[in-house]
Amino acid sequence: MSKLTIAEVSKAFSTTRAVDSFSLEVADGELVCLLGPSGSGKSTLLRMIGGFETPTSGEIRIDGEDVTRLPPERRPTGMVFQSHALWTHMNVFNNIAFGLKLRRLPAVEIRQKVEKVLDLVGLAGYGKRHVTQLSGGQQQRVALARSLVLEPKILLLDEPFASLDQHLRERLREEVRDIQQRLGITTLFVTHGQDEALALADRIVVMRDGKTEQADRPEMVYREPATPFVAGFIGSMNLVSGQVADGVFTHSAFRLQVSASPGSALLAVRPEALDIAPANAGQGMAAIHRVTDFGINAVVDLSLPDGTRLKANVPDARAWQVGQPVDLVPRAFALYRDDKILLRS
Amino acid sequence: MTSGSESGTKPGRGLIGLLLVIVPVALFAWMTVWPILSGITRALSPEQPDGTRALSISNFAEFFSDPYSLANLGVTLWTCLVTLGLLLVICVPLALYLRFAQGKLATYVQTMAMFPMFVPSIILAFAFIRVLGPNGSVDLLLNAVGLPKIRSPYLTPWGPVIGLVWDNIPLTVLILVSGLGSVTNYAIEAARDVGARPLALFWYIILPRMWTSVAVVVSFTMLGLFSAFTLPYVLGPASPEMMGPFMQRTFGDLRDPDMALTQATVTMLFCVAFGLFYVRAVARNRGK
Ligand SMILES: Nc1ncnc2c1ncn2[C@@H]1O[C@H](COP(=O)(O)OP(=O)(O)OP(=O)(O)O)[C@@H](O)[C@H]1O
Ligand SMILES: [Mg+2]
Repeated sequence: MSKLTIAEVSKAFSTTRAVDSFSLEVADGELVCLLGPSGSGKSTLLRMIGGFETPTSGEIRIDGEDVTRLPPERRPTGMVFQSHALWTHMNVFNNIAFGLKLRRLPAVEIRQKVEKVLDLVGLAGYGKRHVTQLSGGQQQRVALARSLVLEPKILLLDEPFASLDQHLRERLREEVRDIQQRLGITTLFVTHGQDEALALADRIVVMRDGKTEQADRPEMVYREPATPFVAGFIGSMNLVSGQVADGVFTHSAFRLQVSASPGSALLAVRPEALDIAPANAGQGMAAIHRVTDFGINAVVDLSLPDGTRLKANVPDARAWQVGQPVDLVPRAFALYRDDKILLRS
Repeated sequence: MTSGSESGTKPGRGLIGLLLVIVPVALFAWMTVWPILSGITRALSPEQPDGTRALSISNFAEFFSDPYSLANLGVTLWTCLVTLGLLLVICVPLALYLRFAQGKLATYVQTMAMFPMFVPSIILAFAFIRVLGPNGSVDLLLNAVGLPKIRSPYLTPWGPVIGLVWDNIPLTVLILVSGLGSVTNYAIEAARDVGARPLALFWYIILPRMWTSVAVVVSFTMLGLFSAFTLPYVLGPASPEMMGPFMQRTFGDLRDPDMALTQATVTMLFCVAFGLFYVRAVARNRGK
């Protein structure tokens, strides 16, 4: 039963404000993914929760207890680092057992706990191996086991699989998800990869410049991005800035009926929600620039008369030719003004 | 299929390799192995009354039965051990500080620690005499505030110790810091994360990674100290004296090259022991 509360936390380094009055509540057993571009403050936030950085202001509470000023060794958190965090002068068993030994547990109990957690991360029987004899994936499993064996209240993972290849990353993240659900452990997971976040998270927090841009369930972040930044950051998205006048959004030759007040606006439409229709020669809103065939579907690159590029997904590549004039028909779109949502359809 | 064996058996390859190797090997044989062998041979075959030479350990018997030679060997070993101990006591904390501290102060400390490397021993010896010698600046300061004079370490065995410690700090710190480089920040943070306080951190995580560099420091400084000359010569007592000045005096002033060679051979045996210690430490590290 562990709840994490981050209240108005800021961290300023000499030149940058890495985290800027950030607030978040993580419920017991919840897995929250922190997602954001490089330098958005994800690691800094996680390191403050783990105790490796002290917030400039704000408060961090675990189960209501203020831990803001506690050093890492006295926090009920467990952190898994990106890489190079194993102790190479110890074997797998001793790496995992170290924290238990510091707590002066009896040897029998240590052995049982280590074996259980090795089993959990799929490394049963690897205890005697030297950590330098393990593959990258196995090393990260050991790092995970080392944190889990202490039964932390909060598990913190900072891009734990970033140095692994795509295939292994996918497998490990599913394992982490399984283990996390089985143990019901409150977890914060930092990642660069939006697919990782979409696949793993109960909730995604999109960060930008140390602030929350949107915090919501994965499908909401994908389907109803709160800001143009989130819209552009998660998945692929066509973003077109234009003007609304008399109920019509206009950019170059692209026109779309909208029920919005006049003024400038930003249109966001996903490639899979953008239909294209053949137009007569010399007409049409856009021309086809390139067709990329992926077999099961195809992506058509479109070019507006002013050079703006858009993407549309189509079921069959063979129906379209380069240079062909087309009309654009968004099935679903969102309109933003001043970084806020104006209209969604 | 044959590409592997081809490169190995190609005629000419082997010859070029041999030619490349032969120059340094020949130089090594001429300038190092030959003098060693001829020196040892000479030390082991003292001149007989009739002018011929015969195999005998009488030179070594003389060395090891002469109380003065033994006292010199003793003071050399004492100086080495005390210097080494002081070096480790000073440099391990310094290296830890340099590895883990950040900011301006660490940069200054680093510069200070490297500074002795650029000061020639003879200047160091002179500065030592001016500061710690009789009527040196320390004495003047003490005198100014009405305190008695210090007992100057100048011309006592502590003179060379102080000079040699100062002289060896840069190399020792460099070796230790580079050894600490193999401890990643993540490894440290992970240890703190599972509950290691500073002392446990040092003992279980940092120290095990330092042993190799400590072994390197031990062997390097021992080798250097055994053959130290300038500082013991200028700062040390006249009797007993360290092996460096002792050999020089036996050879130059007493004109007894055979005895000087015997002393050199004994010194070399100690150095070989520390050399082997070094090789073992490095090999063990490689094996990991
Ligand atoms: N120790 C530090 N000293 C000074 N600035 C720092 C320090 N650590 C982080 N920063 C700065 O804080 C900002 C946030 O960094 P942080 O590492 O939290 O980003 P991130 O979101 O984890 O990025 P990435 O995805 O690249 O890991 C960056 O601008 C970074 O340069
Ligand atoms: Mg980061």
